[in-house]
Amino acid sequence: MSAVLAIAIKDLRQRLRDRSAIVLGFVAPLAVAWLISMAFGSAASFHTNVAVVDLDRGQVAAGFTTFVKSPELAKLLTVTSAVNAEDAKAKVAKGDLGAAFVIPAGYSDAVTSGNNRPITVLTSVDASIAGQVARSLAQSFTAQIEAVQLSVNAAVSAGAPAASVGQLAAEAAALRLPEQTITQPAGTKTLTAINYYAPAMGIFFSFFAIGFGARGFFLERNGGTLDRLAAAPIGPGTILMGKSLATFVYGAASLSTVALFTSLIFGAYWGPPLAVIALIVALALTIVGMTALVITAARTERQSEGFASMLTFGLVLLGGNFIFVGGAPEMVRTLALFTPNGWALRALTDFSGGADWTAVTTPLIAILAFGLGTGVIAFALRRRVVNQ
Amino acid sequence: MTETTDSFSPSTAMSQGTTMLDARHLTRRFGTRVAVDDVSFHVAYGETYGLLGPNGAGKTTSIRLVCGLLSAHGGEVTVAGMPVSTTEPKSKAQIGYVPQDVSLYPDLTARENLTFFGRLYRLSGSALRQRVDEVLELIDLSDRGNDRVESFSGGMKRRLNIGASLLHRPSLLVLDEPTVGVDPQSRHAILESIRTLGSAGLAVVYTTHYMEEAEKLCDRIGIIDHGHLIAEGTSRDLVSQVGKKDRITMSANGSLAAFAEACRSMPGIERVDIADSSVQLLTEDGRLRLAQVLEAASRTGTSVKSVEVDEPDLEAVFLHLTGTALRE
Repeated sequence: MSAVLAIAIKDLRQRLRDRSAIVLGFVAPLAVAWLISMAFGSAASFHTNVAVVDLDRGQVAAGFTTFVKSPELAKLLTVTSAVNAEDAKAKVAKGDLGAAFVIPAGYSDAVTSGNNRPITVLTSVDASIAGQVARSLAQSFTAQIEAVQLSVNAAVSAGAPAASVGQLAAEAAALRLPEQTITQPAGTKTLTAINYYAPAMGIFFSFFAIGFGARGFFLERNGGTLDRLAAAPIGPGTILMGKSLATFVYGAASLSTVALFTSLIFGAYWGPPLAVIALIVALALTIVGMTALVITAARTERQSEGFASMLTFGLVLLGGNFIFVGGAPEMVRTLALFTPNGWALRALTDFSGGADWTAVTTPLIAILAFGLGTGVIAFALRRRVVNQ
Repeated sequence: MTETTDSFSPSTAMSQGTTMLDARHLTRRFGTRVAVDDVSFHVAYGETYGLLGPNGAGKTTSIRLVCGLLSAHGGEVTVAGMPVSTTEPKSKAQIGYVPQDVSLYPDLTARENLTFFGRLYRLSGSALRQRVDEVLELIDLSDRGNDRVESFSGGMKRRLNIGASLLHRPSLLVLDEPTVGVDPQSRHAILESIRTLGSAGLAVVYTTHYMEEAEKLCDRIGIIDHGHLIAEGTSRDLVSQVGKKDRITMSANGSLAAFAEACRSMPGIERVDIADSSVQLLTEDGRLRLAQVLEAASRTGTSVKSVEVDEPDLEAVFLHLTGTALRE
C-alpha cells in the first residue's frame, strides 16, 4: 500500500471514529432535508376553508357567493357558512377558517347605483397564504364589477337608452376580464422544495469537511505526529496528497450519500447521474483547495476552526443554500456566482427544471476554477505552514 | 520492556566503529536568534551519544536537523553516507526518530498506530503484521495491542512512542528527551531498552538535561549550551576537564553576596556562584575546606540550612564550562 493511501485511510478511520464528523457529514444533511421536505411537501396541494357572511342578501352578493363556490375554486376552497361577522372572526382566529368574507348590508344596491362598498376579508397571521388567496378573490370580483360599471357607463354616455341599463349590465357581467398573467415553466418540470434544499443542505454540510481537514492538520502538528510523518522517508508531497485524498473522499462521500438517500427516500431529483457525479467530484476538489487555504491562513487550531466556519457560512449565505437566490435581487444573484456552491445549485436547479446534462458545463468550469484558485493561493502561502 | 536484541537488529549491517551519523558545522537561525551555531559531532555504529544541555540550549533543534525535519542554514548531515535534509527522504529510512512528546494517534489502537507507521516505511502484508507483533512484544504491550492509545498510562504511551520508531529496524535511533515526565519504573525500563539497543549495534543519539542519564547511558557526551557544542568526550574525559574539583552547595539565608565574597578570598576556592538561595563553591578537597567555609558563613551573618559536598560529575563540568548550573 502506498504511503499516500496509508495516510488517507488513517485520516478517514480517525474521522469515522469522530461522531461529530459522522453527524455533520451524513446524518444532519439527511435530517434537515427530511424536515424541509415535511415543511414544504404540502405546498403544492394548498386547500383552505372560508366562509361568506352575507349581510346584504341581494343579487350581487349572491353572485359573489356563487363565484367563490364555483367548480374552478373547489380544489382551493371549501366554502362554509357563518352566522355573522363575529362568528366568522372567531372561527378565523381559532383556525377553523383560513379566511372569511363579510358582504355588508346594502352592498348590491350600492353596486347597481354605481357606488361601490368594500367586501371585508377576515384573515389570520397564522394562515397568511389563505388570507392572500381570499384577498385576491375579493379583488378579482370587485375588478369584474368595476369593469361592468365602466362598460354600462360607456354605453349610456354613447347614447344607449336608460331603460336598457339592466340588460347592458347583464351582458357585460357575462364577459370575463382578460387574463392578466400566464404562468408557463421554461423547462419540463417544476422546482420543488426537496429538489432545491436536498442538494443545498448536502453541499452546506459537506463544507464542514474543510473544518475537519484543517483541524486534523493542526492536531497532527500540535501532537507531534506531523513530525513523525515528516521523519519518514516519504517527502512532504506524499503527506499533502494523503491528507488531501482523505478530505476529498470525505466530502465526496458526504455529498454522494445525501444525493442517494434524498433521491431514494424523499424523491428528490438531482439531475442526470453523470453530470451530478461530475459536480460532486468538482465540489469535493474545491473542498480540498479551501481546506489547504484555511491551513495556510491559520496559525493555530482554534484559528483554523474560526476561518473554516467563516468560509463555510460565508459561502452558503452568498451561494443561496439557505434561501433560493433565483427569487432574490440581482445583486444577490450576482454574488452567488462568486461561490462554488452557487454555481452547483444553479446547475442542479436547471436540472430540476428539465435541462439536460450540458447545463453542467459552465458551472463545472466555475467550480473547478474556484478550487484551483484557492489551491494556488494556498501554495503561495505554504511557507507559513512549512517553516523550513 | 522485554530485552530481545534480535528485534532491535538494525537493517543495515555495519561493523562497530564505523561512522553512522556525521553532522558537520550545523547552523540554524530562527529570525535573528541563532539556535544552533556551528555544531559538529559524529556517532559510530553501536555507540550511544548523549547531547546534554539545559532547556533551550539547542538540543532539539540539533536533532531535528539530524533527522531532516528542519533545513540547516549551514553545514550538512550524512547518515550511513547518505545526505539528510528536508528534501532527501531516502536516507530517512535509516533513522528512527522518537519525538520529545508522545506522538501517537490517541483514537487509534496501539496496533493501528504501529501498522500505520510501518506502512510509511514501506512495510506491508505479513511482514508488517509480524513486525508489529514483535514490537508489541518488545515494549510489553502485546496484551494491549487492540486498545486505543487514549486509554494507556503515561509510561505505556512512552514505550509505544519508542516502539513506533523501531518498526523498520533503523540503523540510527534518535531520542529527544524520552524520559521527561515518566515515572521512575518506566524511566528505568526505557533506559535499559536503549542500552540494549546500543549493544545490538544501533547508533543512538540521546538528548537529555538529566546528567545522571547521560552519565549512565552514553558512551560519549556532547555538552551544548546557547547553541554551541562546548565540550565533547566520555564522561571520564569531561570530568577530568574540571581537574577533579569538589563542589560544595550550601543552602543559606542572610547576606549571600558577602558570604560569597568571603569565600572568594579563601585560598583553594576556585569558583563561587550564587543561585537562588544557595551558594556553590568549586574547590579541591571539599570536605577539608568545609570548616573554614562554615566559619566564613558565621562571620558574615549567614545562616546555613544545608550543606552538600559533591565529587566531580557532569553537573560540575557544566558549571565549570558555563558558569551556571545545568538545571537553571
